[in-house]
Amino acid sequence: MRERSQASKLSFFSSLRAFFSAVGAVVWKDLSAELRSRELISAMLVFALLVILIFNFALELDAKTRGTVTAGVLWVTFAFAGTLGLNRSMAMEKDRGCLDGLLLTPVDRSAIYFGKAIGNLFFMLLVEAVVLPVYSVLYSTNLFKPGLLIVVLLGSIGYVAVGTLLSAMAVQTRTRDILLPILLFPLVVPVLIAAVKGSSAFLEGSAMADIWPWLNLLIVYDVIFTAVAYMVFDYVVEE
Amino acid sequence: MEAKSRYLKILDAVTMVLFLISLWMVFFYAPLEKVMGAVQRVFYYHVGTAWVGMLGFAVAMIAGVAYLRTGSRKWDIVGLAAVEISLVFFLIAIIMGSIWARPIWNAWWTWDPRLTTATIVELVYAAYLLLRQGIEDPDRRARFGAVYAILGFVSVPLTFLSIRIFRTIHPVVIGNSDPTATGSFDMSSAMLQTFLFGLFTFSLIFVDLLWHRIRMGKLADKVELLRLKALE
Amino acid sequence: MFAEGPANTVNYMIAGYTVFFTVMILYLTSLLVRYRNLKQDLDVLQEVEQRDEQ
Repeated sequence: MRERSQASKLSFFSSLRAFFSAVGAVVWKDLSAELRSRELISAMLVFALLVILIFNFALELDAKTRGTVTAGVLWVTFAFAGTLGLNRSMAMEKDRGCLDGLLLTPVDRSAIYFGKAIGNLFFMLLVEAVVLPVYSVLYSTNLFKPGLLIVVLLGSIGYVAVGTLLSAMAVQTRTRDILLPILLFPLVVPVLIAAVKGSSAFLEGSAMADIWPWLNLLIVYDVIFTAVAYMVFDYVVEE
Repeated sequence: MEAKSRYLKILDAVTMVLFLISLWMVFFYAPLEKVMGAVQRVFYYHVGTAWVGMLGFAVAMIAGVAYLRTGSRKWDIVGLAAVEISLVFFLIAIIMGSIWARPIWNAWWTWDPRLTTATIVELVYAAYLLLRQGIEDPDRRARFGAVYAILGFVSVPLTFLSIRIFRTIHPVVIGNSDPTATGSFDMSSAMLQTFLFGLFTFSLIFVDLLWHRIRMGKLADKVELLRLKALE
Repeated sequence: MFAEGPANTVNYMIAGYTVFFTVMILYLTSLLVRYRNLKQDLDVLQEVEQRDEQ
């Protein structure tokens, strides 16, 4: 009796270890491939900086209005650059046949989801880490408040959690790249609203009581959608 | 092709009768609202159609889960039928809501959380249909549709919440409207009866239309199958 | 003190219900037309199938 429970305990831990090593393998694959080619990061970065530039001409970013509009400009930039990254990341997977290779391994499919999602999150955070100082310098606004950085992190997690799942679907359709933003943006509205309002609130130095609803919303969204994506990913990649 | 089931014919008749009664109640039985006047009658069908929209949305999600678990084609047919009906009825609800808002707030659009959320749901449906259009394989089309219907359904309460918090902190009053007008009114018992009867009627309308649309979906499936066979 | 009485918003009510009936009729018509087209397609395809089997 005791041997059986010990054996099942062992197999649980070993499958957990296999899971984490599979996730790690996927993340490492993406990071090291990107380190060599840098095509994803450079595309996202250039695009983000161009968007900031266009906003400069499209909106009146004088000192007064800038305060109210900064959070919105930042998040629109992140949303569009994020879409770019999500698209490319999945497309590379499919085109190089890596996806099929990964599917042949005897590991829970969701390991692929988490691996890709973590990789996508890393790239998105990297781009944000460059955009924030650039924006700060160009418009003499200090964006390095810790609250703001937390909002950026939480918002990016939610965005990437849903985006990775949807990009796995979009890449298998005829309309591919065009389809991802169409699928993603209606679902990601709560993240954008909460992230923009939360960022704004931290920049203006509002009271924490006003900011908590936004942070809570982001956390709830992140948890719910990561869970749903985990449950549903199998059905998206089965052949 | 199977003949129309006898129960469906009965449902058609019952629904039609209830619909006519409901119309009579809206225009003649319910009293005239003392501040807004006649336009308040729009409210009954505005909520009724929104109710159908919500039913459809829920059915689409349930059908999605059912398809993923069983792989049975009929759930895909149900899901698509539900989305289509919900799309049409939410459209009516949104436009009627806008028309109702105009004399009260002096603006065609008020960014009210419910109307805004309904509009976002329409965009979810548009995305759902575009997603399906881009896929040839029927099983994959059904699977992806199911997944997206589930994701959409889960996101909508959060969307509604976020817009509502947004609005309570920043009440948006557009246009030169009377800031004290709230668009709410006290419902007399006749109004309440009309309202509830309307909801009941629209529930039946939903079931009736869904049944018809599912029938059509089964026929479409048959045709597609034969078409694929003929092309071999 | 005048009792104001309800606002005259009959036109908006008519507009609202016109929208309701117009969209409903359009949708029901589209259902009917699509159903008939599918029936026609089915008949044609069934004929083709029969001919192929012969």
